[in-house]
Amino acid sequence: MQDQLNALKLEVEQAVAAAKDAAELENIEIRYLGRKGELTGLLKGLAGVSAEDRPKIGALANQIKVQCEGLIAAKRSGLEDAALSNLAETEREDVTEPGVRPPEGHLHLMTKAINEITETFEKIGFVRTRYPEVDWDYYAFESLNMPPDHPARDEWETFFMDAPVSEMGKMVLTPHTSNSQVRELERGEFPVRMINIAKCYRRQSDATHVPMFHQFEGLYVDKNVSITHLRGVLDYFAKSFFGADRKTRLRPFHFRFTEPSFEIDISCGVCGGSGIGADKQKCKICKRGWLELGGAGMVHPNVLKAAKVDPKKYSGFAFGWGVERTYLMKEGMQIDDLRALYKNDLRFLKQF
Amino acid sequence: MNSLVSYDWLSEYVDLKGVTPDEFARRMSLSGPAVEKIHPQGADLEKVVVGHVLEVNPHPNADKLRIAVVDLGKEKAQIVCGGSNLKADQWVTVALIGSKVRWHGEGDPITLEPIEIRGVKSDGMICAANEIGLFDAFPHAEREILDLGATFGWNVGAGSPRPGRGNRAPTPGSPLADVLGLSDDVVMDIEVTSNRVDAMGMVGMAREAAAILKKDFLFNSSPTPPLKLRGGAGGGVKVTVSAKKQCGRYMAAKIEGVTVAPSPWWLKRRLLSAGIRPINNIVDISNFVMLEMAQPIHTFDAATLDGGIDVRLSRVGEKMNALDGKEYAFDDTVLLIADQSKPIAIAGVMGAENTGVMSNTKDVVIEVATFDPVVIRRGARKVNLQSDAQLRFEKGPSTEACPEALARAVELILELAGGKLVGPATDVRQGTYKPLKYSVTTDEVTSLIGVKLAQKEMVDTLRRLGFQIKTTGKKITAIVPWWRDHDIEDGRDLIEEIARVYGYGAIPAVVPFDLAPRPMDPELAWEKHVRDLSAGAGLTEIYSYSFVSKDLLAKAGYDAAGMLHVQNPLTSDFEVMRTTLLPSLLQVASENRERFAEQQLFEVANVYYPTGEGWTTLPDEQLELGALFVGMTDPWRHAKGYVEFLLNEMGIREYTWKRLSGDAFWHPGRSVQVFANGKLLATVGEISPKIAQAFKLDRVALVDMPLETWIELATAAKSYVPVSNFPEAKRDLAIVVDHHVEFDDIARAAVRIGAQNTLPVKTSAEWFDTYRGKNLPEGKKSVAMHLTFASQERTLESAEVDALMEKITLTLKEHFEAEVRG
Repeated sequence: MQDQLNALKLEVEQAVAAAKDAAELENIEIRYLGRKGELTGLLKGLAGVSAEDRPKIGALANQIKVQCEGLIAAKRSGLEDAALSNLAETEREDVTEPGVRPPEGHLHLMTKAINEITETFEKIGFVRTRYPEVDWDYYAFESLNMPPDHPARDEWETFFMDAPVSEMGKMVLTPHTSNSQVRELERGEFPVRMINIAKCYRRQSDATHVPMFHQFEGLYVDKNVSITHLRGVLDYFAKSFFGADRKTRLRPFHFRFTEPSFEIDISCGVCGGSGIGADKQKCKICKRGWLELGGAGMVHPNVLKAAKVDPKKYSGFAFGWGVERTYLMKEGMQIDDLRALYKNDLRFLKQF
Repeated sequence: MNSLVSYDWLSEYVDLKGVTPDEFARRMSLSGPAVEKIHPQGADLEKVVVGHVLEVNPHPNADKLRIAVVDLGKEKAQIVCGGSNLKADQWVTVALIGSKVRWHGEGDPITLEPIEIRGVKSDGMICAANEIGLFDAFPHAEREILDLGATFGWNVGAGSPRPGRGNRAPTPGSPLADVLGLSDDVVMDIEVTSNRVDAMGMVGMAREAAAILKKDFLFNSSPTPPLKLRGGAGGGVKVTVSAKKQCGRYMAAKIEGVTVAPSPWWLKRRLLSAGIRPINNIVDISNFVMLEMAQPIHTFDAATLDGGIDVRLSRVGEKMNALDGKEYAFDDTVLLIADQSKPIAIAGVMGAENTGVMSNTKDVVIEVATFDPVVIRRGARKVNLQSDAQLRFEKGPSTEACPEALARAVELILELAGGKLVGPATDVRQGTYKPLKYSVTTDEVTSLIGVKLAQKEMVDTLRRLGFQIKTTGKKITAIVPWWRDHDIEDGRDLIEEIARVYGYGAIPAVVPFDLAPRPMDPELAWEKHVRDLSAGAGLTEIYSYSFVSKDLLAKAGYDAAGMLHVQNPLTSDFEVMRTTLLPSLLQVASENRERFAEQQLFEVANVYYPTGEGWTTLPDEQLELGALFVGMTDPWRHAKGYVEFLLNEMGIREYTWKRLSGDAFWHPGRSVQVFANGKLLATVGEISPKIAQAFKLDRVALVDMPLETWIELATAAKSYVPVSNFPEAKRDLAIVVDHHVEFDDIARAAVRIGAQNTLPVKTSAEWFDTYRGKNLPEGKKSVAMHLTFASQERTLESAEVDALMEKITLTLKEHFEAEVRG
């Protein structure tokens, strides 16, 4: 019996050593150690062993079983390692092939621009508003201190609607977002801290003008608002939108609905404000180190009066800039023809 | 409007000693007109010198070429030259090796290199004026070189060749730029705002500079001899002003016996620096005075005028040939200067061709006037003609600018063209001039600027700008100088003057942080969300014009008649304010179809609905979303899936879908609408093949969503249904039904069976396939779905699920004649 057990062990050792894969090992396990295997078969002969020897043989059988199981497990693990070590070859894929992408949509540049501008002003407590794009002359011009013969009110500058003239004048396609000024002031809630972003329309179509474009209009009216605040807000915007290293300056300008009026310049991001390009020649992007950002000014007392706000009590500032220009300046994008923004060529749109 | 300002010229009116052009540019830009560019003068004339021709010898190999020996001071040069007027003892311009010239005045400048011409070495080039960019100053015939001696009457003095400064020739070898007085000059390109016509002249610009830079203003406005004026029609020229409203002042003077000739260099040089081409002394003087004083001037040949001058509006059908050689026809709104028989000028814009000053003109009439800026602007626009004069007139120069400008013009003509002033000048004006007067308090100034300034500083600034000031306590009263009577409109404008001269750069920046006064309009917040969701779902956003053409609308089956029209559209492409985004989407898809077979597009924009009859009220601007799907299988399914996705993401849970038919725009079998609370949320589906075809598109599906209702119903709040603790049972079911039977009804029936079970079973049906065709009878379809059964109370026994399946198939058979497909 003892010999038979030892022989069995030897047989298992040889079989395991010869096994080439997991399936063969499986068969060995079943054949020798399984419920109906040879070890079990041998142990059936235990009945014929003397009671005296029985515990000894039993212990031996158990020891051999454990040893065989150990052998098989060790071999199995060895075979698995060998198989895994070969994965680089057996399961090799060309990983330079493209992946499977989730659907890829695209927001229009203007949406991105509007989002960024809105967020920038939200941080200092300006609330985005919406006012009509088709409005009365009164809000677009008259209440903004623009005389009836002002060039902007000529029919070759502004789109007029085919509609009867009302008490508020002609119906126009807003040529700027400034129609929001008196409309917002008329709410009579102070302080006014508004950022109005909307479509605007002017009768111009060439490489640098689109008949429909976007503007953002800021308006801040409260007690004791001075030029220092206008400088602060515009400087904050320039630095957070374009970069902390950019500088701004105000230059005198002329608009009817602000007094004083300014043009805001920002230091050129290409030449660093030096006006001298990398090639030691004049910077081609800017004018003497500065780029024009847009117009601004202290709200004209006549505009406050038009909205029934007492200019002796309240003062404020306003600015209104083109979204397209401002955003393209930020991204340093040179779009040769601004109309490309509204041509909706998918080759263009899918780049953003 | 931008002005070109010569630094050298400007220095005649303001003391700029010790101020570099760069410093001038920086300081002026912060307080006044912005200097945008600085162009050094004479830079193009580097290595171009004056030479004296010593001898001229024939060229051995060419008849038309000769060899000049030229004294260049330190050396003598041998130069091959083809100039027809070349001769010995001539003063010429020599371009040395390394200089830049234009061959025969054409093409880009090239750098001169040592060269052999027909076998003879040439140490440079004797230039024609057009080869060194001076043709406008010194016009010449072809092949004629620039003869400096003849041009300047040398022996001519070096340095600034102005009349009366000697006629000695310069030292040979002197740089030409020095001789022409250009070396130290720069021309500044300065932006002058439209309200400051005064600063469009040298004198006005100098006044600005004097105030801003705190330098002396040198201009002296007393001409010699002083000009005698006569009001009304009694002067040397008979003038009637019929159009009184349109002409505030008309002055005229007559000078007899002038000699029309080219202007001297100093005058030509001033005009050239401002980009104006010299013509002859009389015309040049008009332009010079305009550049100097920002007051346009016109001169007529007196002999061409028929009787006295009348300033009147045009008559319908009247015509005139202007100085630009073109004919202009008028309606009855253009302001004209006329004599007794014909128009002699479009007032403030351009003179008539046949009344202009010519080389043989003997007597001239000088016109200096002020016109209504609006009439000038509209008139110029109407006849489509622009001029330097008109650009200034439409900005409204003061009536008080006229006498000074006229006196200056007379002074210069007498000096440069000779002749004799006939009688006093005529001066016809409307009303009398009363200077404007405004006041402001120091407190108002301080509170608007946000910086405390001394009253003395405020007063000093205003005085330097020409205001006459009186102070009473904190009150500053200012009389506005005439040259500012157009732009100073109230006390507030005085604050601007003080602030800008103080310097905007010196005002500190303070950010007024605060909380937003109110939350953002939910429409704006949801609009952003919808856009983000759409792009996230794989759609590409487009922006199309709010105004579209009638043709585009018609192509998509819309009638533009009820829509708001633009009265003055740029072109018929931009004529109608759209009430729908769909035609634009179709157009965009159509334009992209050849490059992109598959497209998923969306746009969010306002559309413009009528609010009543006849557009007496503003249109109702409604925010809408449109989307388009083309190129995939069953595009309508993608369109619907997109809307389902949006419904889910925007938290809208209660809605019903209803088949849409009977709308010519939409495909009658493949369109559906979704409603909530009885309001339309979206129309979704394929469009009629006819319309798709019109846009050259194959099957195309659209989504039309009025966002107002969505935003009303949208919610960010989430609700929660407990998940069952017991496993769900899943079965698949495929049934064959008539193709009119709809899945929604099948699913509802199945769900009902589960709900009505003794032990309520939550049942859901998930569609996964519909099949028509082979192996199925005509008019039938096979619909396949996953059914899921779950109880909140316990695990369902297999037999229970079998029983439910049995009930469901029976019910479906009963209601829809459904056969279970094996």
